[in-house]
Amino acid sequence: MSAEPSRALAPAARWVWRAEQALGWGVAVAIAAVVSFQLDGVLALLARVLPAVALVACVVVVPRLRWRNWRWEVHPQAVDIRHGTLTLRRTLIPIVRVQHVETSRDLLERWLGLATVKIHTAAGSHSIPLLLAADAGEVRDRIADLAPAADEP
Amino acid sequence: MSPEPRRLHRAGILVYALATLREAAIPLLAVFVVGGLGGGFDERALLRGAGFAVAGTVFASIAGYVRWRTTTWWVTGEGIHRRSGVVSIKETDVPLGRIQSLDVEQGPLQRLFGVHSLHVQTGGGGAKGEIVLEALDLEQVRELRALVAAGRPAEVADAPEPDAERRLSRPALLVAALTAGQLGVLLPVLAAAGQLSQSLFDERRGEEAIGLLPDAAGEWVLAGAVLLALAWVLSTLGSVVAFAGFTVSREGERLRIRRGLLAHREATVPVGRVRAVEVVEGVLRWPLGLAALRMEVIGHADEPTAARMLFPLIARRDVRAFLDELLPELADDLDGLEPLPRRAHARYVLPPVAVAAVAGALLWALTGAGAWALALAVPAAAAYGTLAFRAAGWRLEGGRLVTRALRLARVTLLAPAAHRESHTLSQTPLQRRGDLADVRVAFGKQTAASVRHLDAGTAARLWERIAAGTR
Repeated sequence: MSAEPSRALAPAARWVWRAEQALGWGVAVAIAAVVSFQLDGVLALLARVLPAVALVACVVVVPRLRWRNWRWEVHPQAVDIRHGTLTLRRTLIPIVRVQHVETSRDLLERWLGLATVKIHTAAGSHSIPLLLAADAGEVRDRIADLAPAADEP
Repeated sequence: MSPEPRRLHRAGILVYALATLREAAIPLLAVFVVGGLGGGFDERALLRGAGFAVAGTVFASIAGYVRWRTTTWWVTGEGIHRRSGVVSIKETDVPLGRIQSLDVEQGPLQRLFGVHSLHVQTGGGGAKGEIVLEALDLEQVRELRALVAAGRPAEVADAPEPDAERRLSRPALLVAALTAGQLGVLLPVLAAAGQLSQSLFDERRGEEAIGLLPDAAGEWVLAGAVLLALAWVLSTLGSVVAFAGFTVSREGERLRIRRGLLAHREATVPVGRVRAVEVVEGVLRWPLGLAALRMEVIGHADEPTAARMLFPLIARRDVRAFLDELLPELADDLDGLEPLPRRAHARYVLPPVAVAAVAGALLWALTGAGAWALALAVPAAAAYGTLAFRAAGWRLEGGRLVTRALRLARVTLLAPAAHRESHTLSQTPLQRRGDLADVRVAFGKQTAASVRHLDAGTAARLWERIAAGTR
């Protein structure tokens, strides 16, 4: 495809994903460990081992895949977003369709100095997460500046 | 028009009283029915019920009067304003520039007094307007329309002769109502049945109540059939009430839609705001070669889009002619679409078959008698998957996009690609292996053109063609 988007997310994004995967799978491991006491033999072993394996695998692999696939770019007429862990998606949003843009920061993002840009259209919203806070502000302002001059596709 | 606040027409008292009564009716009815079932329908219960009814009417009338007295509206150079409320006062102001249309509605009560309910629409023309003035006479409606039109010379307030018009005939209304198949109406019916059975259970002894439940599978099927029949009757009645006298006319750059049996509704949609048209062939209509026409209308600035009925029932072969007359901006051929590659067939068949197989297996495991369900459900799922595969198709020609897909109904979407809100190319790992991909073009909150399991190269090219010129 022509001209893939070039900009990436903040490098710290990978740590956010690692933390998310560790937390999610950590809970699964705990539950499975509890459940495994009700089972015996092979099942109990599987119940203990499989979630632990999944935890290690996901914490290592998922952030890497996601980081590699997350690319975005703001062109004069459109915002180009490419992302996905296993399922790849490429979305183009004409600037003229953007109703408003906002930046938001959840707890983890605030701690790491990151922010999410959320682009609203009449059909729904699109997010560019885990950007450096300064970059996020820039993107928001850039899209807002481009809006008046944007043409119908 | 004077900027001084004024009240609505006196008929508004009755309109508000009726509204209050309607709000209170369901709980009152429930109390009456449950009370009657508990003690039996004797004289005391009937008198109690009558007492409730009278008290309710008196209360509703007083409430209606109070609401009428405390509701005022006025028009200034800036816009239309409405103020209402006793304890907590609510004031709404709508700037003239934001007004998309002034839609009117006339219930039987309002018809009696010659007043109209005016909805000031700013958005995609969904449900109520941002401001609703429940009782205005015709003169006031005309004045308001003229005032709004004065601010926008491109739109004429009252066009004398429509450019084109289509009206839903009585036989067509009946067919449309019978084939509507709005199963959503089943939910409140089930809820009411649930409530009723709960009160029955409380009143009688446990064993007797359980005795009422169906024993054999045959009785369950019968119960299900009765419920479905009831839902069908309700859906038919609902459609008749909503779409009687449906007339759509093209007047310059606007579509005027009139409909309704009890409440006469009139709505105006600027043609420029129609983003897409959908030809919806529901499960009961498809075999008859019939369809409903729906359109996606964009809102103003920050508002979402809204789906609207363009015409409730039309023969599929007449759709092109209809659109050429009433909405040529979006007219296109429904046929001649590119089919999907053969290897996509399996992708359409496997998920429903898997679901049917798992559900059937579960049923068999739990009740031990679900073998027949499995034998029926799996081939049915496979047939559905094949139909969905054959129904899928697309075409992008001269910037005009046409896509077709089967989910619950067969829906063909017609829209210029330029009207899109965004478009997405997606590919799951399984699709990567099969060299397939999906393309989805969003036109509104609920309206999207979706083609699943295209050849990956074709999908990429389609994505690029839609994106062309927008970068």
